[in-house]
Amino acid sequence: MPYKIIRYICLKYLHKGGYSVEHVDQVCLSLRKEYGKCVKMAGLLGRPDMLFIFDAGEVERVFRGEDGAPHRPSMPSLNYYKHTLRKNFFGEEKDCAGVIAVHGDSWAAFRTKVSRVALSTGAAAQYTEQVGDVADAFINRVREIRNSKSETPDDFLNEVHKWSLESLGLIALDTRLGCFESCEGSESQRLIDAVNTFFLCVGELELRTPWWRIYPTAMFKKYVAALDTILSVTLSHVERALQECKDNSSKSLLQDLVTAAGPRVAAVAALDMFLVGIDTTSNAVASTLYQLSKRPEVQEKLYKEITGVLQGRPLKAGDVSQMPYLKACIKEVLRMYPVVIGNGRQLTKDTVICGYNIPKGTQVIFQHYVMGNSDEYFSNASEFRPERWLNRSTYKHHPFASLPFGFGKRMCLGRRFAELEMHIIICKMVNAFRMEYHHEPLEYHVHPMYTPNGPIRIKLIDR
Amino acid sequence: MHHSRKNKKKRNPIVIISILKIRDLESFSTNLGERFWVKVTFHLFDGRKLEAEGKVGDSLLDVVVNNDLDIDGYGACEGTVTCSTCHVVLKQKDFDRLPEEAGDEERDMLDLAYGLTDTSRLGCQVILTKDLDGLEVKVPESVNDARS
Repeated sequence: MPYKIIRYICLKYLHKGGYSVEHVDQVCLSLRKEYGKCVKMAGLLGRPDMLFIFDAGEVERVFRGEDGAPHRPSMPSLNYYKHTLRKNFFGEEKDCAGVIAVHGDSWAAFRTKVSRVALSTGAAAQYTEQVGDVADAFINRVREIRNSKSETPDDFLNEVHKWSLESLGLIALDTRLGCFESCEGSESQRLIDAVNTFFLCVGELELRTPWWRIYPTAMFKKYVAALDTILSVTLSHVERALQECKDNSSKSLLQDLVTAAGPRVAAVAALDMFLVGIDTTSNAVASTLYQLSKRPEVQEKLYKEITGVLQGRPLKAGDVSQMPYLKACIKEVLRMYPVVIGNGRQLTKDTVICGYNIPKGTQVIFQHYVMGNSDEYFSNASEFRPERWLNRSTYKHHPFASLPFGFGKRMCLGRRFAELEMHIIICKMVNAFRMEYHHEPLEYHVHPMYTPNGPIRIKLIDR
Repeated sequence: MHHSRKNKKKRNPIVIISILKIRDLESFSTNLGERFWVKVTFHLFDGRKLEAEGKVGDSLLDVVVNNDLDIDGYGACEGTVTCSTCHVVLKQKDFDRLPEEAGDEERDMLDLAYGLTDTSRLGCQVILTKDLDGLEVKVPESVNDARS
């Protein structure tokens, strides 16, 4: 089998094309246009060759062919942190390094312990009312901080981060962190800042020349300090929550995890949730609110659905499943603007992709942003139509083209909670306000979540 | 509870008899003589037919796992509803009489099932009741791959 090499040097974009990490979305679109459905990126400093896949049928085949422990290419910098720098902590107990930046048997053993608890279909619904309380607190908060034009302030995204962290604290640590009352220097603000720093650094450390492999650069030191902060804050809360678990009989994710797999697994699971569960969710929510604020007719339809279900009473478990249009709106935002523009696997066996024999070890990246916006996979792809998710016979689409949470054994472990949080906050925001947007349209950028670039100034009119 | 059936093979006859007795007792005391075990037949896409028994309350995935049924790649995500490898196709009348309809999580995964039909379900979400005794399901092909 000839292995056709489509050599593409990143440097071309770096120097001549004005490439920046922020515009990887545009790079991917032009790669698809110029080179077709399968593009090999070679000659990348310090990383294995990558294969970009723009073909949903091939994505489906790779997913369906997965073995028991799919390997997700992960951030080597996080690998280094978990397995070298802090190996005493993560290596102390067998199979206890977590799920992020962990592979093979160790990943599989940890995943099995946690996923039965975290992904069971009822796991999230029990948090409906508590997550609803956090959403109410967020709504009170944004009412207060609206400016004189009733618009959200320029740092609105940071407020959404606080909501996300507060919700996750509740789910992962049984704790109300008090993020909305947080001020400069408080523990929850330190945690928010550390998570932000982690994400900004990770993009830079992973996508640019990895000097940190040779010596600890300033960026790398900031990154390690941020991880240390997240780890220590998480551990202190887990310890406290463990104490409280003993006196309290109410069931929670944390207690279930402790019972099923022990305190250390619970702590590491919480850490992983903090690493990947805060700004993914908050950027998805900010993006959804922004998209809705530009579409009054969608909001009206949503409002009708929500008020029809609630009939004036507070939200309770099970209500959201009566709101298919709400779910469809979020799916539609994530199709057009997936917060993570591409997902990937490191092949654990030689695989034929697009007719090429791709060797084991290659990193394949599923280009969901490009596929999700392609007319080939979604009719009228450039139009925002939540209905396409409700009426499968009218709107045909390829189910593997848009997969915001991935698929299979390595699907997003926090999916149930992320969806619950998103459904509830969007439901409550639409129920509380008519949202309008009166500024220049915002472009999206990879930061490293795919998110509107610029202040999200939404006019909030009380309903 | 599932393991008792699996371990049965390794135990000596006396232990088997005692397990059977316990099972009968359980069945007698909890169901007052009604059937406690449900027979299920899996028709595989390659023409094989696998018959097995499961307990009321077990899922079809439990039946496959507890009986070590040889269905390649079945139930990869261990019942956490993150894949669609335990996809089964039911007869319309069986589909209609299942006590629980598919929930949102299951429907999202069914969208990704290969060879989806109007009477498809995920085996991990189909829970056996005594009414389902004699249930027959089709297990469709799971990988659409003729090339490698």
